[in-house]
Amino acid sequence: MRPFIIFVLKNLQINEGMLVSIIRTIDLTKRFENLVAVDRLNLSIEDGEIFGLLGPNGAGKTTAVLMLSTVIKPTNGTAIVGGYDIRKDPNDVRKLIGICFQEPKLLWVGTPWDVLNWHAKVCGLSTQERKRRVKQVLEDVNMWDYRRKKVHGLSGGMKKRVEVAKILIQRPKIAFIDEPTAQIDVVGKHKIWNMIRKLRDEGSTIILATNELFEADLLSDRVGIMHKGKMLVCDTPKTLKDSILGGDIVDVHLEKEVNGNAMKELKSFREVVDVVILKPNDLRIHLNKVEEVVPKIVNLFLKNGFPISSIRMSEPSLDDVFVHYTGLTIEEAEQEITSR
Amino acid sequence: MKETKKLLLVVERDLRMFLQYKFIIIMRAIWFAAQVAFFGLIASRMVVPELADIYFEFYVAGVVIMMLYSASVFIGYDIFEEAEHGVFEYLLSLPVSRKELVLGRSIGGGIRSFILVGPIIAIALFVIGLANPLNLLIAFSALFLFAFGVSGMSITIAVMLKSGDRFDIFMGVLNALIVRLSTTMYPQVFVQDASKVYAAFSEFNPLTFASDLFRWGTGIERYLTMDPMPLAAIIGIVIFFFTFTFVGVTIYEKRLEGGGWQ
Repeated sequence: MRPFIIFVLKNLQINEGMLVSIIRTIDLTKRFENLVAVDRLNLSIEDGEIFGLLGPNGAGKTTAVLMLSTVIKPTNGTAIVGGYDIRKDPNDVRKLIGICFQEPKLLWVGTPWDVLNWHAKVCGLSTQERKRRVKQVLEDVNMWDYRRKKVHGLSGGMKKRVEVAKILIQRPKIAFIDEPTAQIDVVGKHKIWNMIRKLRDEGSTIILATNELFEADLLSDRVGIMHKGKMLVCDTPKTLKDSILGGDIVDVHLEKEVNGNAMKELKSFREVVDVVILKPNDLRIHLNKVEEVVPKIVNLFLKNGFPISSIRMSEPSLDDVFVHYTGLTIEEAEQEITSR
Repeated sequence: MKETKKLLLVVERDLRMFLQYKFIIIMRAIWFAAQVAFFGLIASRMVVPELADIYFEFYVAGVVIMMLYSASVFIGYDIFEEAEHGVFEYLLSLPVSRKELVLGRSIGGGIRSFILVGPIIAIALFVIGLANPLNLLIAFSALFLFAFGVSGMSITIAVMLKSGDRFDIFMGVLNALIVRLSTTMYPQVFVQDASKVYAAFSEFNPLTFASDLFRWGTGIERYLTMDPMPLAAIIGIVIFFFTFTFVGVTIYEKRLEGGGWQ
């Protein structure tokens, strides 16, 4: 039965929602001696989306990316990338992909110009196009003035920018971007986020491996959370946040003390999970789908004669989602992995 | 992009990298000068006086081959440097097949060793003289194959061991054996006198093939053997080249992957 299912999955490029899967993993597993770095990963990534692969360091994100890009071989299972099996047709897979590595891989000698120019040549860009793109991207990542400096003399952030530049020049069909803004300053981060979005708009599917949950939330159409080599959950950031029961919080400060009837009516809302009275006229409401419910709450208080002095809403972050599914903060999870 | 172009880009990269190793190039040249000026000159005094000059030429030719060998091995060390800096994984992620990658690196390694040894060969030819340019041309063609083969061998061993320390020790031991059990420093007849087992190893040693060919190409071999053309040496080098370049490709296509390097 199992080989049959694998056969069907391998040949199925269109999923139920009629969205084209550009990547589909089938029980993808990688073991390093006793350590299972990636454990039976089953995942489908759609053409043209930014997919955030989240998790603490050591969760298995980079190993998964390296398998999908044919740099390392799976111990078990396989994946279909752009219609090609990573085990059977690795050369075809590599024609479609590009990687921005977590640690910059800059040939360790040479200059940013040499590194990027050679990379563009290998990726098959014509001389004219190559020179144009290398110059453009070096300017975009603020590295033009340093293009003739030896890479080993560059700072960590500069090296990272050159690493990111490689994929921006290449514009692959499928781009694996591993921790793109690590060691980069805030202004640089925003620039790189915009460039990632632009890359997607130009037709690339992007797999963003990161432990920066804010970054993933900001950029990703969908995210998958990995922990200890397993995919715990995978959906849109909004759905994942909404999946935390009572994860949204509304703090309401009323001009006068609320009465029992209003409280009863408030608690009767399907989305409201809990109401905590902090002070007689201060309420903290735990609920879901905050953006839909807040107008109803406002109406309720006004209708019952309780004017609102202030109202503050907060949604759960992906950090909260991570805590919800693992029982650990991302820092705790990282420590747990390190002590394994 | 055509496969040949990709292969040439891999070669180009290795050559560019090599030209940055100015310190190593200078040190190698000093090593050669010391071997010839001290060891070669002094050791040739131990030979009967009428053969002293011939032995000196013989030794100079042998040192050239030793240098060509060690320069071709150097690509293996590069792989460990790259693994340490993560560049190896980058190379494996490029739209280049493993075959093109390994073949390109073998050729790149071979060419760089010729660039390194080129000036030294010129000095050697100045010392030894040149009897027959055609012979030298044939010998050079075979030595190119020898250099590619040694680079291929070095890459194969590096990929199989995946440990910089082990590779270093292994290549040290291999160097001791492969150089000493060859005719780089002494003629085969003396190896034969010392031990038949040594002679058997020496006879089928790629360094012996390369040394004999270079000496034949420069004309020194006429003092030692009457062979019109050392066919056995040429065939030996061709087999060596094919083994480590093409059969080797199959091995590392299966074993090559990122990660696990020490």
